Amino acid sequence: MRSYSGQGNAVEFVSVSKKFSINRDSVFGSKGQDITILSDVSFSVEKGHVFGIIGRNGIGKTTMLRLIAGIYRPDSGQIKTYGSMVPLLSLGAGFNPELSAKENVIFYGKILGFTHGEISGMVDQIIAFAELERFSNVKLKKFSTGMAARLAFATAVQIDPDIVLVDEILAVGDPPFQKKSYNEFMKFKERGKTIIMVSHDLDSISRLCDRAILLEGGKITSYGAPDTVVNDYLGMLDSEKQE
Amino acid sequence: MQLDQLWQSRSLVWTFAINDLVVRYKGSLLGALWSFLEPVLMLGILYLIFSHVFQSAIENYPLYLLLGIIMWNYFARSTNTGLASILARAGIVNQIYFPRAVLPIGSCVTAFIMLGVEFGVFFGFMAGFQFVPPLTILILPVLVALLFCLTLGLSLILSVAYVRFRDVQHVWSIVTYAGFFLSPVIYDIEIFPPEIAQMLLLNPVAQLLDIAHDAALYGQLPSISAMIYAGVFSIGLAVLGYIIFKRYEFKIVEEL
Repeated sequence: MRSYSGQGNAVEFVSVSKKFSINRDSVFGSKGQDITILSDVSFSVEKGHVFGIIGRNGIGKTTMLRLIAGIYRPDSGQIKTYGSMVPLLSLGAGFNPELSAKENVIFYGKILGFTHGEISGMVDQIIAFAELERFSNVKLKKFSTGMAARLAFATAVQIDPDIVLVDEILAVGDPPFQKKSYNEFMKFKERGKTIIMVSHDLDSISRLCDRAILLEGGKITSYGAPDTVVNDYLGMLDSEKQE
Repeated sequence: MQLDQLWQSRSLVWTFAINDLVVRYKGSLLGALWSFLEPVLMLGILYLIFSHVFQSAIENYPLYLLLGIIMWNYFARSTNTGLASILARAGIVNQIYFPRAVLPIGSCVTAFIMLGVEFGVFFGFMAGFQFVPPLTILILPVLVALLFCLTLGLSLILSVAYVRFRDVQHVWSIVTYAGFFLSPVIYDIEIFPPEIAQMLLLNPVAQLLDIAHDAALYGQLPSISAMIYAGVFSIGLAVLGYIIFKRYEFKIVEEL
């Protein structure tokens, strides 16, 4: 994790291409086919922005987040990130059901690069934010999906990274918690942090984002103000319907 | 080679290793006591069966047996959990970047900690039999270190192979099962004709077990050639394992 101060970009894509092999069922048989997820894509995300990525299912939005997070590597091109980062891709998937909420937060924090002391100092605050104080010593397998998601969200927010990657999770939790998450995102943004989000909820894209991109067939086909990009997306869906 | 990055992640290796141990005994009444009780009971049963029911010509047979079982179990447990280490953590690997090698290394460390406890039990049995080990037992740490390198190398290779080819788990459990009977664990390899015994000792684990028995119980130091063979093989495998792991670590994440 590099620290970065001053103005500039939080994330930069320079001619990034990425392919996946799919349909490789048999081990020695057919080689399977490659599908291109991104071909020669360049864009940048300005520091302090909420940045939206929209597009149809399977078009590569989550792959893009994984590339930013360093989980996947591009086949060619470069991805630069500036600052510490917490990916929230599928909430709570990394938690261990046999451990308590507290133990899970500590474990998660250590994977994110914190020392035991640092993360232990934050645990109570995280659990309080998630409003799960009564359950802090309960095993995670007793948690509902919503509760686990709240815990993951609270951990990410309280750890206070420079960049958060969010995949379709604003709908997490009940309405009061949703409101709280929304407020927290806004505070986050006010502190000059960057949020990159993937969502099918076009309303929240328009409402929250400063910039957005539309991903289509491995390319960015629309870039700019979220309203414009959302309109382009709706237009694209319309024209597909007519064909 | 990014070894520096791995070195920075050493506390993460420890975190995963301890986490494995903690989860292992979660929900049990006796908790961590099992880590001690389990080998005591298991070794006790083996001792009863093999020293009373079966008669062996091997001198100090109970200790021979226990030492072999402990080291073999370590090898089998370490490689079999190392093999599954990445797939078992798919949920985290898919979510956050950290050096992936931490996972197989962590499970090798978990098994190594358990080996430490079992060695404690072994020395307890030694004292119980009032057996005074020869000075040559002092090379045991070197042998254990080589066995660690060997299992680490194999775990690194198996963990990436398993993501791609699920057959690996079945194949490897058969290999470790066969290896148990083809190594000096319950009987001395010398019961075979010399040509076959020589062939079996090409297996570096068998070689290490053979050396360990001779050194810990019978006061015999290994031949230089046997030691070089085991040493080069073990360290070489660790290096090779790391190279192979590095080559495929990003490819396999896409297949999770």
